[in-house]
Amino acid sequence: MSDSVIIARHLSKVVDAPEAKLTILDDVSLRIAAGGSVAIVGASGSGKSTLLSLLAGLDLPSSGEVILAGQSLASLDEDQRAALRAEQVGFVFQSFQLLDSLNALENVMLPLELEGRRDASARARQLLERVGLGHRLSHYPRQLSGGEQQRVAIARAFASEPAILFADEPTGNLDAVTGAHITDLLFELNREQGTTLVMVTHDERLAARCAAALHLEAGRLKEDQP
Amino acid sequence: MIGRDLPLASRLLLREWRAGELRVMLLALLIAVLVSTAISFFTDRLQRGMATRAAEFLGADMRISSREPLPQEFLQEALNNNLQHTDLVDFSSVTSSEALMQLSSIKAVGPGYPLRGEVRTSQQPFGTEQVATGIPDAGSVWIEPRLLNVLELQVGDALEIGYAQLRIAALLTHEPDRAGDFYSLTPRVLMNLDDLPATRVVQPGSRVRYRLLLSGSEADLQRYRQWLEPRLESHQRLTSVADDNRQIGSALQRANQFLGLASIAAVVLAGVAVALSASRFASRHYDTSALLRCLGASRRRTLRLFLIQLLGLGIIATLLGLFAGWLMQWGLIHLLRELLPPDLPNAGLKPLLVGSATGMVGLLGFALPPLLRLGRVSPLRVLRRELTPLPGSAWLIYGLALSGLSLLMWQFTGNLPMTLAVIFGGAIAALLLGSLAWLLLRASSKRLRNAGLAWRLGSGQLLKQPAAAAGQILAFGLILMSMVVIFILRTELLETWQTQLPDDAPNHFALNILPDEEPAFRQALDDIGARSAPLYPVTPGRLTAINGEPVREQVTKDSPGERAINRDLSLTWAAELAPDNLLREGQWWDQLPPGDGHHVSVEAELADSLGVALGDQLSFVIGGATVEAGVSSIREVNWDNFTPNFYMVFSPGALAGQPSTLLTSFHLPADQRDGLRELTRTFPAMTLLEVEAILQQLRDILDQVTLAVEYVLIFVLLAGFTVLFASLQSTLDTRLYEGALLRTLGARRQLLRQANRLEFSLLGALAGLLAIVAAELVTWLLYRFALDLPWQPHFLLWLLVPLAGALLIGFAGALGTRAVVNQSPMKLINRGA
Repeated sequence: MSDSVIIARHLSKVVDAPEAKLTILDDVSLRIAAGGSVAIVGASGSGKSTLLSLLAGLDLPSSGEVILAGQSLASLDEDQRAALRAEQVGFVFQSFQLLDSLNALENVMLPLELEGRRDASARARQLLERVGLGHRLSHYPRQLSGGEQQRVAIARAFASEPAILFADEPTGNLDAVTGAHITDLLFELNREQGTTLVMVTHDERLAARCAAALHLEAGRLKEDQP
Repeated sequence: MIGRDLPLASRLLLREWRAGELRVMLLALLIAVLVSTAISFFTDRLQRGMATRAAEFLGADMRISSREPLPQEFLQEALNNNLQHTDLVDFSSVTSSEALMQLSSIKAVGPGYPLRGEVRTSQQPFGTEQVATGIPDAGSVWIEPRLLNVLELQVGDALEIGYAQLRIAALLTHEPDRAGDFYSLTPRVLMNLDDLPATRVVQPGSRVRYRLLLSGSEADLQRYRQWLEPRLESHQRLTSVADDNRQIGSALQRANQFLGLASIAAVVLAGVAVALSASRFASRHYDTSALLRCLGASRRRTLRLFLIQLLGLGIIATLLGLFAGWLMQWGLIHLLRELLPPDLPNAGLKPLLVGSATGMVGLLGFALPPLLRLGRVSPLRVLRRELTPLPGSAWLIYGLALSGLSLLMWQFTGNLPMTLAVIFGGAIAALLLGSLAWLLLRASSKRLRNAGLAWRLGSGQLLKQPAAAAGQILAFGLILMSMVVIFILRTELLETWQTQLPDDAPNHFALNILPDEEPAFRQALDDIGARSAPLYPVTPGRLTAINGEPVREQVTKDSPGERAINRDLSLTWAAELAPDNLLREGQWWDQLPPGDGHHVSVEAELADSLGVALGDQLSFVIGGATVEAGVSSIREVNWDNFTPNFYMVFSPGALAGQPSTLLTSFHLPADQRDGLRELTRTFPAMTLLEVEAILQQLRDILDQVTLAVEYVLIFVLLAGFTVLFASLQSTLDTRLYEGALLRTLGARRQLLRQANRLEFSLLGALAGLLAIVAAELVTWLLYRFALDLPWQPHFLLWLLVPLAGALLIGFAGALGTRAVVNQSPMKLINRGA
């Protein structure tokens, strides 16, 4: 139990829709062990992204509880959750979420600068070298291809050495070949840094590379796994 | 905490700048600060320059007068405040030659007189004028040429004043501090103060004015004034430039009001520009904010990072704007150097303060509300892009900003009614018209459903989000309104001045014409080509009682009323109301029932000061006899027009039997001046006053002010255009994206061009309509409550302003959206997504 970095108990998310209340997640419980990799798989609208946002503390459940790195999210306010994210969590998004006004190096430096780290530039360079973009440090997102942008995002996610990395459809906007390269990179870095990886995807092949897969269907987990 | 975030925020700001994100906002702020600084600098220096010119009419910046010698401490305190000073004594006395005598106005002056302006003399009547370098030497006098005629003397002869014999050294052709004194009937003499004891004219009880003239820096004068005012006794009077001379006073006041309004316009332009660009900045940074939160920055920290950036931007823009404004003001003054007074004083620090305050109030007031939304962006936005933050309590902040701006404008103009007129007029107009625009947009959406595709696309942009479109119309409308208001005011100000001082304004006053000389005098004026106002009979008399109560007990110190009862008034009677006079209350004689006693019409300002109302009974002492008359009307008098004006006009017959002389003013072209010699010879008893020099002085000032007003107008218009273009940029983002989408769907470039042109022209026309409605409201409020001018609607502008708005914004919009039709759609979509 103590090696579970993420524990969710009876999570539900209900939102107000125009006609009736809409249940997006219905009584989901799960545990994710430290250092493991878990895929959350399901069709569009099955509640994958919502589950991810609850696990990462970006949003709060209607009922139920999330314990992230030993801390119950319900007991933290918005800013304390932010502080917890800063310390423990990294993100990779389907739409990359790079800042247009910052170049590749500056985008990777941003979380390090928020921490106030003096070696921000050196560490960011090192990571960009690692993802194979050492020659494109001063390029802006719009000057990079989709695959390159996602590599910058991955470098940024690993920059602050998070304990947990949440990835939301990381290859969703990429072609198959590029997607495969990105996946390789993600798993390599995950191994090197001993990070816990939680990945939302509808790509079964990608899910298969994870140690475990959770299948969501209409807001419910189909089979409960470790 | 700020210390920790300062380096990061600065780096972010620098990166944003490199990426070109901040240029529009910086430009808008810069223009705002630049314009308000430049206008403030320019007007500050010009006002000081004009005040210096106006001070010439007083011979000083400040004058203290008294019927008794002034206390020594007044002078001592003046010296303590580094003021320059000189003494003079005014009195009336008989002057004589061996055979003849004439009552004269004598001014005994000390060294240094005049402190402002110049005295001019000549050696022969109508001879060449020279600027005097000092005052008359002890033992000599300078006299007005007509005194030579009356006493049959020559330059170089001796003139007797009391027990002293003084040599006539020169003829006095111009005294600076003569202007307010058209109606002094007696010839003037200027003598040295050192000779005064020898005349033995000034004895206890004689009617003498002791005056202390002062000049110095504004701050020193202000300090002195504060010290002096509580110490003034009832018989002592302080006069400064602002409260003297009516003609200069009102022209200067109007000019100041205009320049103040121009500054307000600049502040409004600044506010609009900042609000638009800040709201664009905010909406472009929702993603950044969400990401920062996702990366673990707290809400407060995220906000702090943005606020520091905003503040940094504000400081940079303000500093640049101050410097550019200072440069621009120099350029302007250099351009105008031929027309401006040669020794224009340097500006004070106020313009810099005003400029920075504009930048900061504009920034904090108008940029803060959109920026605060950045703090409310949910981190969840990284997964769900459609989440935009809810608008917060923007009303409170806008309210605060508006109050801040009002304070700033008040400081700018020093005129509360004017400021309130603009603020409230603008705010009410904005609210009403914003809603109107919104309703209009909604109403037209139904009508346009069947229009052509270009129409539907173009108007669709506006109709899709009526609230946002109304906001844009409002913003552009406010920009146009500021420009229109300044344009209207400038035009009418210039017209007022033009009618006030036409080229043929009377430049001479003729007094002491005997009643039986009237036909001959009229003929003589015709002969020399002079154009004359009517001849008015004048009888000197004193107001003694109102409804039987002595007037002395009814007036306050230092009011026009007090001045009126302390000297003889020039009383007249007339059958017709003078063309420049306006009845405020009551009726003219021809409307009154016949045989109802004598009537008098009282000038409005004096009536207010004396507390005189219709029906009151006034008692006058005229030539030893008492005359009673009932107040039958109160008149507004235009004192600025250089024709004879009177405080008291009696009904015909009221002054029958009283000795009187005639008074008139006339215009004589400069090349006909030789005729004057003939005129004075034919009518030796007549007193002729030339006011050409004063008129010229006044015209010079008005010319300068006019020019300044024109340049300030150009300033405001240029600023308006620039802000307009800059603001337009801030509305382009979604348009570019949607245009690209349309092209992807196969829309031809021609269609998009047409749709864009239509959209922006529609936006411009609506903004123009809003602008002219608001401008009419604001000018009406201004005229009614601040400027005291009659107001008329500006029908032509109702047509022109919407048209100009459509053309201007249509053109600017088409220019701004060129990218929609020329760039690769894919690129735009990628950028927008």
